[in-house]
Amino acid sequence: MNYRCNQTALYKRTALILCVVLTASCSDTSVPQANNQPNYSQNYPTSEGGTLIDAMTGEPSGLIAMIAGESAASAIAGNIFNSLLKYDRNLELTGELAKSWDISADKRTISFHLKPDLKWADGHALTSADVLFTWQKVTDEKTRTPYGSDFKLVTKAETPDAQTFRVSYEQPYAPALDTWAGLHILPKHLLQDQDINTTAFARKPVGSHYYQLDNWKNGQYLKLTRNPNATQGQAKITHLMSRIIPDKAAQFLELSADNIDSMGLNPIQYARIFPAKPELNKNIALYKELGNSYTYLGFNLKRKPFDDIRVRQAINYAINKQEIIDGVLLGLGEPVASPYKPGTRWSNPLLKPYPYDPNKAKALLKAAGYADHDGDGILDKDGKPFRFEILTNQNKEREMTGVLIQRRLKEIGIDANIRVLEWASFLGRFIKPKEFDVVVLGWSLSLDPDQYSIWHSSQQGPGQFNFISYNNPRADELLEAGRLELDADKRMKIYHEFSKILLEDSPIVYLSAGYGLSAIHKRVRGISNPAPPAGIGHNTYEWYIPKAYARSEMSEH
Amino acid sequence: MLKYLIKRFLWMIPILVGISLISFFIMHLAPGDITSSEASFNPKASEESRQKLRELYSLDKPVIVQYSLWLKRLATLDFGTSFASHQRPVFWQTTDKDGNVTLGMIQEALPITLLINLLSLILIIAVALPLGVVSALKQNQLTDRAITLFVFIGFAIPGFWLALMLMYWTGVQHTWLPISGLQSISHDHLPWLGQVLDTLKHLVLPVFISGITGLAGIALFVRNGMLEVLHQDYITTARSKGLNENRVIYGHALRNALLPLITIFGLSIPGLIGGSVIAESIFAIPGMGKLFYDAVLMRDFPVIMGILTIGAILTLIGNLLADISYAWADPRVRRGVVQ
Amino acid sequence: MKHISSNPLALIGFIIIASILLLALSAPLIAPYDPNAIDVKAILLAPSATNLMGTDGLGRDVFSRMLYGARISLMVGFVAVGIATAIGIVLGAIAGFYRGWVDTVIMRLVDVMLSIPTFFLILAVIAFLTPSIWNIMIVIGLTSWMGVTRLVRAEFLSLRNREFVLAAQTLGAKDARLIFMHLLPNSLTPIIVSTILGIASAVLVESSLSFLGLGVQAPQASWGNILTDGKEYIQFAWWLSLFPGLAILLTVLGYNLLGDGLRDAYNPRSSQH
Repeated sequence: MNYRCNQTALYKRTALILCVVLTASCSDTSVPQANNQPNYSQNYPTSEGGTLIDAMTGEPSGLIAMIAGESAASAIAGNIFNSLLKYDRNLELTGELAKSWDISADKRTISFHLKPDLKWADGHALTSADVLFTWQKVTDEKTRTPYGSDFKLVTKAETPDAQTFRVSYEQPYAPALDTWAGLHILPKHLLQDQDINTTAFARKPVGSHYYQLDNWKNGQYLKLTRNPNATQGQAKITHLMSRIIPDKAAQFLELSADNIDSMGLNPIQYARIFPAKPELNKNIALYKELGNSYTYLGFNLKRKPFDDIRVRQAINYAINKQEIIDGVLLGLGEPVASPYKPGTRWSNPLLKPYPYDPNKAKALLKAAGYADHDGDGILDKDGKPFRFEILTNQNKEREMTGVLIQRRLKEIGIDANIRVLEWASFLGRFIKPKEFDVVVLGWSLSLDPDQYSIWHSSQQGPGQFNFISYNNPRADELLEAGRLELDADKRMKIYHEFSKILLEDSPIVYLSAGYGLSAIHKRVRGISNPAPPAGIGHNTYEWYIPKAYARSEMSEH
Repeated sequence: MLKYLIKRFLWMIPILVGISLISFFIMHLAPGDITSSEASFNPKASEESRQKLRELYSLDKPVIVQYSLWLKRLATLDFGTSFASHQRPVFWQTTDKDGNVTLGMIQEALPITLLINLLSLILIIAVALPLGVVSALKQNQLTDRAITLFVFIGFAIPGFWLALMLMYWTGVQHTWLPISGLQSISHDHLPWLGQVLDTLKHLVLPVFISGITGLAGIALFVRNGMLEVLHQDYITTARSKGLNENRVIYGHALRNALLPLITIFGLSIPGLIGGSVIAESIFAIPGMGKLFYDAVLMRDFPVIMGILTIGAILTLIGNLLADISYAWADPRVRRGVVQ
Repeated sequence: MKHISSNPLALIGFIIIASILLLALSAPLIAPYDPNAIDVKAILLAPSATNLMGTDGLGRDVFSRMLYGARISLMVGFVAVGIATAIGIVLGAIAGFYRGWVDTVIMRLVDVMLSIPTFFLILAVIAFLTPSIWNIMIVIGLTSWMGVTRLVRAEFLSLRNREFVLAAQTLGAKDARLIFMHLLPNSLTPIIVSTILGIASAVLVESSLSFLGLGVQAPQASWGNILTDGKEYIQFAWWLSLFPGLAILLTVLGYNLLGDGLRDAYNPRSSQH
């Protein structure tokens, strides 16, 4: 039959085409792979060159950090722009653009002295005029930035000369220096006739730090290359590339195939997968560092029975925090007893978290009037069972934490059910109107100990951060005093006392402070391990890639 | 014919208005807007600034007002700028006073999605057509059953699962194909042909994953169409006239069976522009699907409205073209026998 | 039934569906563990005698979760398709029976709905509302009625001029009687076929939504979210991907084989040789 022959011909042709395409793609023009593995255990002295490739799940909307806001933007912009100050490896403030600074006798004026001969990447001089310009922009009503409030506290900003920048505050403002460590200084000569909200500069920035933007392919990657005029000296690695890979599973595959050099890991990948896969461990090293964030269970203090301190403390005793750290974080976290990073001066070493003590929990609840009157296993009071809803956002770890808490609460007779919400819904429908019982959330904090906006009783408005409605006059006093006290030791005492009050009041239950976990390819040398207080990222400019390990295609262009 | 065309065009306007109204109101079903992203829960970010942002984007005005503002701008073909990405225009590029060109978001994402969808359409046709024909000719025999099973498996397999497994097999265990992305990092330094091959290599898996689901539908459609036609009288007549079997199948049966396929393609145009959110997310391809998904998560209303509107316009035009080409291809309609 | 048994593929489909339905229904009886029982000491264990399908990232038994997940995934399919079919029947019947401007309006509505990429619509609505299981079912239902409407309308249009309808009309039968007693019963098979195929699609849509984080939410188990939970560990915890993936594959396959088989059987012309 003729048609059969024709079909065979059709299939033959298709098969031939497929073979051609496949063989063409089989030619390996990419990086050296598992076939010819170099041995990554050799030591090499510091050298220059190479490309560091990492992955981001999101893409920056622009590289002017004060406008863009998202973490992807600040991460990349942090390689391009300088601030007046920075934090050193021990989390002490030190100068970046400023070589020194002094504070006036009345503690209301700070004078920054810039280093001499600073330049922008385009060769133009960097002076105090740029700092003044940046401050004017961040405090300008027309600038669409959410970060202006700290800088608006400055009543007067002046530039007595090209190397000096002076700011005066109405009252001594202790968090001030921290704010100046976070403000990227922008070039006046390039932005003065631009609308900062819509300027093309955000996609083609000119900075003063180790790197400058080489290429930005929308949706694909951003490539940075060394800035020859860098104010802080030269970084060792020549190129940085951030690939945009939204899916974490795909990122992990890319890491396994040696297409990216670093990525953030979750506890399971760190503690279970890597140890089980020798082929991964051969080429990739793991790092952990304590971050500056903690997870907590927050009570709506305006709702019964959470206004009763015994109930809150009971729940605190009922929750097994170590179980959460072991189960959710696989042990890669630490318990906390204050809203500060353990090991820093602001964290009160004398405070200990509430131990896991279900009996004490039951006793406290009994004292508060709860007992199982109807024998259904759930405590009740005045005929109403002790039942509430725990809300959290779509975050695997928080969901797991919620489930563990639910189980522990059930053991002492509290019926809690969990609801996972999408973030915007969560904020708009539940947090803002304070329509919630209990939440499991986290705070990611700045390095300055001031937490006025989270705990002060004046910050309970809709959309403000004291959404749990905490109101303690003594805490208020301490928070206000902490903002005015510039002496580090006195400040420390203030916040230690503040933490003690918080722990006793238990408006939230501290759950854990998780480690930041990273996997970085062994070709990248110079990483501080174990991580200093500032984390492994504090000295990325000192990292280097020995020539023997550099990717073959990345020749110096 | 002209009257028909005019009537269809006139109908497009209320349909478009209907679509945009539905879309606009759906978006405002939800609480939250661009100012309620995760980043906004940063204690350093003040509520006043978020409120200012809301005012700037008219988010505090009643929904009807926002809709009419959007509609007014649309009349001048201005789709606005994205809320999330502060200066990127939604649709087409803009040039500022210094001559800097900022490319539009849809302008960048649409070609990529179109390329993937067209390639997968070609793949589907190239594979589904012969499969459907063979299936029809060998009706109810083993070949037919096997092919049906095969295409159904392709349809039934969860896309992202297959994608990850293939990525692992072809990218990690072996290094045949890239794992994710649209271009390799050395793309710009390759010669022209190298760039084309590089992009194609990156598209092999996404196209395959996009195509494998549509395979079943089209193969079955061809099969059933062929079967229906093969049993018609005129085929028996042709055979009894002594015509070459090939000519019977390809010349007569297939041509007639394929007519409804045109309508199918017209109907699948929303999908063409839609782009697979899943495939683009997994393979890190910056297409329309990912653009839409990100915009939804960020409550980026101008982008969402822009995509839905342009999608609707292209769909309506596509349907119109499909209907016209069907009318032209089917001599019964062309000659006015069947309305 | 004769039609099914003469078509081996449809038979396979039927067996698959029946087995899965049976497993889903008997979940409370045969599940060895509570699907939500966390055991932090048993995280990501490979399949063994104690855990037939291994454990997940919280130490929960995957086999038990799969059984309960079957109930959820199937329920999503049934309810969503139920909604879509109900809407489709009503609109299609009205359009096909009354024709005229009612028909035009309904078909234009169908056009409008078809002009918006379905998945985009589902995605947007669920992202804007909370991703609860009911919202998912309702939204999938509200976006898949168009096919049924067209089908029912087409059937009604073709049946409406048959002798039995005209006869009934002459005898003075009212519209409702005509629709429910005469036209609808004769249009049943394509509706059933469409329903069966719709269930398969709904299960797939749920798994896609889970991948995007908008599917059935924790701690409820669905095949989609078990599969999504395991995707980052695909090189290591293969069981978290294999079993739900296979389950979705088999279920969707089964429904499609059965539905297609029924459609083949119903279509008089294609069954001739």
